[in-house]
Amino acid sequence: MNDFRGTRYDAIVVGAGHNGLVCAAYLAKAGRKVLVLERRHQVGGATTTEEIHPGYKFTCCSYVVSLLRPWIIRDLDLPRHGYEILPLEATVTPFPDGRYLVRDSDPERTRRSIAKFSPHDAEVYKSFGQEMAELGRLIKPMIDEPAPDPLSRDPRELLRIARLGKHLRGQGDRWLYSNVKMMTMSAVDFLSERFECEQLIAPMAISGIIGTFLGVRSPGTAYVLLHHYMGEIDGSFRAWGLPKGGTGAIAEAIASSARELGVEIRTEAPVAHLLMENGKAAGVVLGNGDEIRAKAVISGLDPHRTFLKLVGEEHLDPELTHQIKRFKMRGSSGKVNLALDALPTLACLPGYGPHLQGGITIAPSIDYLERAYDDAKYGAFSRRPFMDVLIPSMTDPTLAPPGKHVMSIFVQYAPYHLKEGAADWPNQREAFGDAVIDTLSEYMPDLKNLILHRQVLTPWDLEQIYGLTEGNIFHGELSLEQLAFLRPMAGWSRYQTPVRNLWMCASGTHPGGGIMGAPGALCAKMMLGKRAV
Amino acid sequence: MGYDAIVVGAGPNGLAAAVRLAKAGRKVVVLERGEAPGGLSVKREFHPGYAVPGLLHDEALVPRAVAAKLGLTEHGLAFRKAPSIYIAETNGPGILLPGDPQGAAEAVGKRSKHDGQSYTGLRSFLDRIAPLVAAVLAEAPPPLAPGSAGDVWQLARRGLALWKVNRRDLLELARVAPMCVADFLNERFETPLLVEALAAPAVASTWSGPWSAGTNTNFLLRECAGGEALAGGPPALVASLYAASRAAGVELRTGAEVKRIRTDKGKVTGVTLASGEAIEAPVVLSSADPKRTMLKLLAPGTLPLRIEEEFHKLRSRGTAAKVHLALSGPLELAGSDGQLYEAIRIGGGHVDDLERAFDAIKYRRFSEKPHLEIRVPTVADPSLAPAGHHVVSILASFAPYHLDGGWTAEARKRLGDAVISVLEQHAPDLRGRIIAREVLTPADLEAQFALTGGQLHHGELALDQLLVMRPTPSAARYRTVVPGLFLGGSGSHPGGGVRPTAGWLAAGAVVGA
Repeated sequence: MNDFRGTRYDAIVVGAGHNGLVCAAYLAKAGRKVLVLERRHQVGGATTTEEIHPGYKFTCCSYVVSLLRPWIIRDLDLPRHGYEILPLEATVTPFPDGRYLVRDSDPERTRRSIAKFSPHDAEVYKSFGQEMAELGRLIKPMIDEPAPDPLSRDPRELLRIARLGKHLRGQGDRWLYSNVKMMTMSAVDFLSERFECEQLIAPMAISGIIGTFLGVRSPGTAYVLLHHYMGEIDGSFRAWGLPKGGTGAIAEAIASSARELGVEIRTEAPVAHLLMENGKAAGVVLGNGDEIRAKAVISGLDPHRTFLKLVGEEHLDPELTHQIKRFKMRGSSGKVNLALDALPTLACLPGYGPHLQGGITIAPSIDYLERAYDDAKYGAFSRRPFMDVLIPSMTDPTLAPPGKHVMSIFVQYAPYHLKEGAADWPNQREAFGDAVIDTLSEYMPDLKNLILHRQVLTPWDLEQIYGLTEGNIFHGELSLEQLAFLRPMAGWSRYQTPVRNLWMCASGTHPGGGIMGAPGALCAKMMLGKRAV
Repeated sequence: MGYDAIVVGAGPNGLAAAVRLAKAGRKVVVLERGEAPGGLSVKREFHPGYAVPGLLHDEALVPRAVAAKLGLTEHGLAFRKAPSIYIAETNGPGILLPGDPQGAAEAVGKRSKHDGQSYTGLRSFLDRIAPLVAAVLAEAPPPLAPGSAGDVWQLARRGLALWKVNRRDLLELARVAPMCVADFLNERFETPLLVEALAAPAVASTWSGPWSAGTNTNFLLRECAGGEALAGGPPALVASLYAASRAAGVELRTGAEVKRIRTDKGKVTGVTLASGEAIEAPVVLSSADPKRTMLKLLAPGTLPLRIEEEFHKLRSRGTAAKVHLALSGPLELAGSDGQLYEAIRIGGGHVDDLERAFDAIKYRRFSEKPHLEIRVPTVADPSLAPAGHHVVSILASFAPYHLDGGWTAEARKRLGDAVISVLEQHAPDLRGRIIAREVLTPADLEAQFALTGGQLHHGELALDQLLVMRPTPSAARYRTVVPGLFLGGSGSHPGGGVRPTAGWLAAGAVVGA
């Protein structure tokens, strides 16, 4: 029965993903009594490291970090709890003709590599990071604060927008127009305004499509590009890193910090649904029937799961149900994780080297990326997909036995909705895995012989295992109509929901996906500000 | 022979600008490179005895208020009910969509009760936001970064207009405007044929497919504009504008191609014609496309580098071809029982087919199964062809300006054949009736009509090239950085189609209204 009877929680967080944990930690820091409930056997959600093959630890889902907000790292004292980021050295893009492009932390080396393709672009590239940093100044305050709501009729909000407007006005017209363009253009159009050679534009443009159901030529992808540029490690823009111990170590660090602050975390405690009383959330009901009460419930699940499963349609206004159902999830990507007997050889750059410590991007041309997208548009996985490949064991040897390696392959596109239906994914899973390995083998001829174990995660698997509706890694598409004050619904972008005492704290809320932590922290701050707990 | 202002181009925008300038007391000359006024709206005899009423089909965009201010009704312009659109269907009866909303809702409802209700809901949403959108379409875009008290006042008025719209509608508008038109329509309708047909105009002559974000803005802007067709089609608009311009004392010179817009110490001083003749005026208002005006007609080096770059970046790729057919009989569609339609849309039957047609241009090919937006102008105006004969005007999407291998005569022929074979599937008797055909590829449109890239809208309709960004931030309010030079063609707000609004608003910027 209810072994928590008598214990009254201020808040229950459903789901121990990184955002749920961050939210819980901030609430606990303010003296609230918080319980986190996790369905799986471990914390982290999609921020996870798992030993899928004995001795080999896979970063199953998210595989790099750069977006985690520095103030969260400070506030929660994460380095003391084991948070350590190992910088990624380089990004290599191999081309079918045997050439390759290397972009790494050494500007001069990068310049020389780009200059082989275009001297003009090599020069422009130097100032590009600076330009993106300038543009990021608009977005940065926005990802560290709740989204301004221009349609609000609350005088305080209007005042805040007026102040923001004044701040923007001070940045100059040119900057302002660049930002408006940035919000609406395609990644390729945006980059083509600056660069001329496709070998640079294609691998740069992929930041605009990761996790979206859009192509590099689709309007709106330039914004996603910027979103990915905002990563900062030690204050430097565009620095991606690999957490020591895999991404799961981040979740462990946040969980450890949260526990120290007094948060109680229970794993293997699936929540069946909310406990609703008089139309308000009064707590949760566990899978085993136990009821746990709290002043507030915070959902770390995506909007679909939160409202349609946790709350249930019967407690919702039909209009709200309608709005939630049309919030687009549509997962578009998959993961293939490999245990390798030895280091594979990159045909264009054979041998051991720092280039294998970074990302290997399979994005040889704009047409290639568009064709990959076209397959997905019509309900098939890309026969020749875009891939972001990482060998985390090169950076963190503890992830695999000595001399052995793990490889993480992020693959796009793999549409959740196959033309045969999403339920057909189990039948197509291995074919999808084969397409990935076959394509990658064109660049790594010895890869197939080195594979000890292969884990293929389709969007359907991401839904089944991690509870990501339709396998969307960002809890909802990052498209213009689902961002800022429209995320997840117009009028409900402030973490509060139309269900009293129910809050949302995950990637489906502003400012969205990635291991960023901002939604969790902002939700906690908003709740405390409104004295909701 | 001193003029106060020179207007480049005598299309609807150029003529409208001239009328407004003349009415404000300016001495105006309009310089037109063609032999008659009209631009893309000129009656075109593509085969002896067979003519189409201009190149463009979207004539239902002329705001009554602007027409009234220009005095066009006094000069013979008459509106008429928009013709019904027949949506052709392979192995099916198709849908005949009447021009009036209620009739259209009933027609849709016969196909699917759900869709009929959705259609009524959509129309009522459009009606509620229409006043807001119409105001946007009838005014100069507001300044993004207000500089003067006047700017602030304009913004404040806009804010107030927003306040008046129901908050729910406003939130919905904010949500749906940046969407792709396929998502927007799929949220509402279950009949694939209808979704494709409704989506098509939103992507016509744009570099986007129905799954491209932002295309719903095009849909909303079109659906909220006017909705009334013109009696006599686009040439009737030109005729009334021409009459109004004569009455206002505007001088029109045809066969006068402007080669150079001259400047002195950075200010406009006049133009030089292809003939070498110089004409002086302190103001030049160009209705030619923005890239042509700023990058070709101005001498190199006139613009600051940053502004020049801005216009270089303006995307102006043509994506559609025009095909004109002269037929010895009517265009009879399968299963139409002898009924003749004035407006027809032919697609593959699903919005994905429209997207596939777009996919082709990404790889620099034209679509083998293009989407066809068809007008049979002889149904309403038999005088365009010999008795009993007909002309067919087809806007075929998609065909890229940059075609792999270039637009050779062979490529043009293959495109024409592709269009005929799509049409033939719905009109089995077609081939025997074709007397002549004209195929205008984007390259032809550029060469013959001085359209950069063959882009029919003078600049792609994309979110970053609309409203305050159209054609570019520095020229969004018609005034350019070159004192005395104004842009007032389709490349400026509110943009393409047969409508005189941009010219009218640009002239307003000249006279300070």
